[in-house]
Amino acid sequence: MRLNNVVAVGKREYLQRAKTKAFWIMTLILPLFVTAISVLPALLLSKSKANQRIVVVDETGKLGADLVAKMNANDTQTPKEATGRRNRDAAGMVVFKAQAEPPAADRKAQRADLDRRVLDKTIDAWVWISPGVFEDKPVEYHARSVSNVFTQETLRDDLSSIVRQERFRAAGIDPARVEELSGSVHLDPQRVSATGSRAEGSMGAALLAIVLFFILYISIIMWGQQVMQGVLEEKGSRVIEVVISSVTPFELMMGKLLGICLLGLTQLSIWLGTMLVVTAPGVVASMAFLPPGATLPSLSAVMLINFVLLFILGFLAYATLYAAIGASFNNLQEAQQAAGIAMVFVIIPVMVMYPVINDPNSRMATVLSLIPTFTPLLMPLRIAVDMPPLWELALAYALTVSFVIGMVWFCSKIYRVGILMYGKKPTFQEIWKWTRYA
Amino acid sequence: MTPILELRNVRKAYGDFVAVDGVSMSVPAGSIFGLLGPNGAGKTSTIRMIMNITAPDSGEVLVFGHPRTPEDLRRIGYLPEERGLYRKMTVMDQLLFLAEIRGLKGSRIRPEIERWLERVDLAKWSKSKIEELSKGMQQKVQLIGTVLHQPDLLILDEPFSGLDPINQELFRELLQEYRAQGKSVVLSTHGMELAERMCDHICLISRGRAVLDGELRDIKRRVGGNAYRLVAEGDLERLKTMPEVEQATVQDGVVKLLLRPEAAGSAVLRRMVEFLEIHEFRSEEPELEQIFMKAVRDAA
Repeated sequence: MRLNNVVAVGKREYLQRAKTKAFWIMTLILPLFVTAISVLPALLLSKSKANQRIVVVDETGKLGADLVAKMNANDTQTPKEATGRRNRDAAGMVVFKAQAEPPAADRKAQRADLDRRVLDKTIDAWVWISPGVFEDKPVEYHARSVSNVFTQETLRDDLSSIVRQERFRAAGIDPARVEELSGSVHLDPQRVSATGSRAEGSMGAALLAIVLFFILYISIIMWGQQVMQGVLEEKGSRVIEVVISSVTPFELMMGKLLGICLLGLTQLSIWLGTMLVVTAPGVVASMAFLPPGATLPSLSAVMLINFVLLFILGFLAYATLYAAIGASFNNLQEAQQAAGIAMVFVIIPVMVMYPVINDPNSRMATVLSLIPTFTPLLMPLRIAVDMPPLWELALAYALTVSFVIGMVWFCSKIYRVGILMYGKKPTFQEIWKWTRYA
Repeated sequence: MTPILELRNVRKAYGDFVAVDGVSMSVPAGSIFGLLGPNGAGKTSTIRMIMNITAPDSGEVLVFGHPRTPEDLRRIGYLPEERGLYRKMTVMDQLLFLAEIRGLKGSRIRPEIERWLERVDLAKWSKSKIEELSKGMQQKVQLIGTVLHQPDLLILDEPFSGLDPINQELFRELLQEYRAQGKSVVLSTHGMELAERMCDHICLISRGRAVLDGELRDIKRRVGGNAYRLVAEGDLERLKTMPEVEQATVQDGVVKLLLRPEAAGSAVLRRMVEFLEIHEFRSEEPELEQIFMKAVRDAA
């Protein structure tokens, strides 16, 4: 094998593809997209923290004042601590400016007047508490939009709390005493891991694992397809006949794989770089979207190294297969059918992704992640959630590396014959026969 | 002198179809060798075996005096029949790549490429993508890519397709310069007229068989001792029925006659006077076209 040739071919693949707009669009759009979906909602919600001017009309005469006091008090206190059960998402999102109004003699006119004020935007909503509230009748909520879930949730919590207090009082129980005695118990999740570290392993880790998984998944499929299309183009334009007089098919295949692999790594490093920035402590407003107690873990060096290594192995395992498929057929349509078979190996990891995250050391997770076709996709999941024992990792690498070497050998044989073969679509039996040509 | 390229009884079949049926030919060093024949005669199949793109079913290919090795291929410049270029690459990138895979250093070969582009009038296209070029321009880029590494032997499959007469002439000049440097050229074409102007050796292929092989001058002397030019009025069609006439093609009142080897010109002339008003009748070199048609008929 002439290294110069491999380098020349690889350089061409890398530069030609890096020059395309499609590459840069794809490379930049994903980080933008991820940043957008993680940061934007939080930003938007913090903007919608606008005052909710609400008029409360209480027919019972027992709740209005307390409710208004409680709603307005929510400005300052952290409601989650107060009730212990309020969804954190809703917390602090809504600031009420409530005011009580006594029910007028003409209820109808009062309601009409309130509606008018809502439409005038002098108030945002009005709440009507009828005496039936103590018999579980709902409280009316009138607003221009009733899809503001956070507002309604906060309001409902406040209402429930006041009504509950009133019920206790009616039953002769001191509400303050009840409050005191009925505090919830919190759960502090701590993972027991072999490495002894109790810090790792959380919802955040699972989230990171999923993100990494899909980055790998997209990269492997996308760059594998690129290899296949590149081979088909060479074959279709007969460039191959010129190139093959100076470069052996094996050199050509290796150059192509390495060039495209490097480009994939370039893209990956841009993506991971973005992730490092986005997950860096303090940067993300999206923290608001994580469940209580969770923080976004930043990428550790161990994870990065494993991730890159597994990308390279995964890429080589699949891309060689795609190269062989591209070489075997004459056009994209024919090749796509065969490429579907390769997809099976990528789809199985997707199906078992959640069980593996949930229990990364189960027998199924261990066994599947040691099968070379699945290792590149499943191992990063396990590493992100809970570092597997070193021997398992070593075994996985050994198996995958041997598998990749086998694949390169096997596919290069198909490639060598297929690349110069024209005419009718070959059958799988024929392709199999090619591997036995000298 | 050992031939630079030699085929010995090479045969290639695709299923039941025999594309190349025992072709032997020998290309002397320093020649422009024409592989001639109509479409589908087996020219491209033969060339693909020379380039080791397909393997012959039987027979031998020798280059530079020995059975071909992969190393030898690097001393051959090959131009395939269909466009063998990356469509999305620029002209310069394309040529640099082709130079690099032949072991040349990009930085050193760049001025050379620029000289070539200047020469074939493509200098201002060097940053254009191949797909933006016309077929003729692509063909010129391809030719540069073929000769950049100064191979000892050029194998060109239908190099003139898509070229206008001016560029055909340019190609002819370039190839002759190339030969003047002591290198050899094998080209295939179905255009007999072009081949006649361009080649000094030829091999005629028809239906997978080599029907004629040798130096063009020799062949003309050997096969075409009996060619005449005739300008006459009258029933020219009747010429074709005369037993002594091998071939008669009429064009613009001029008849190209090819007589059977045993026939004598004077005797034929005497017979023709009976039904034609003859203005001119003289012996001349036969055209390759005539030779080819005769050879194909003889072989059948």
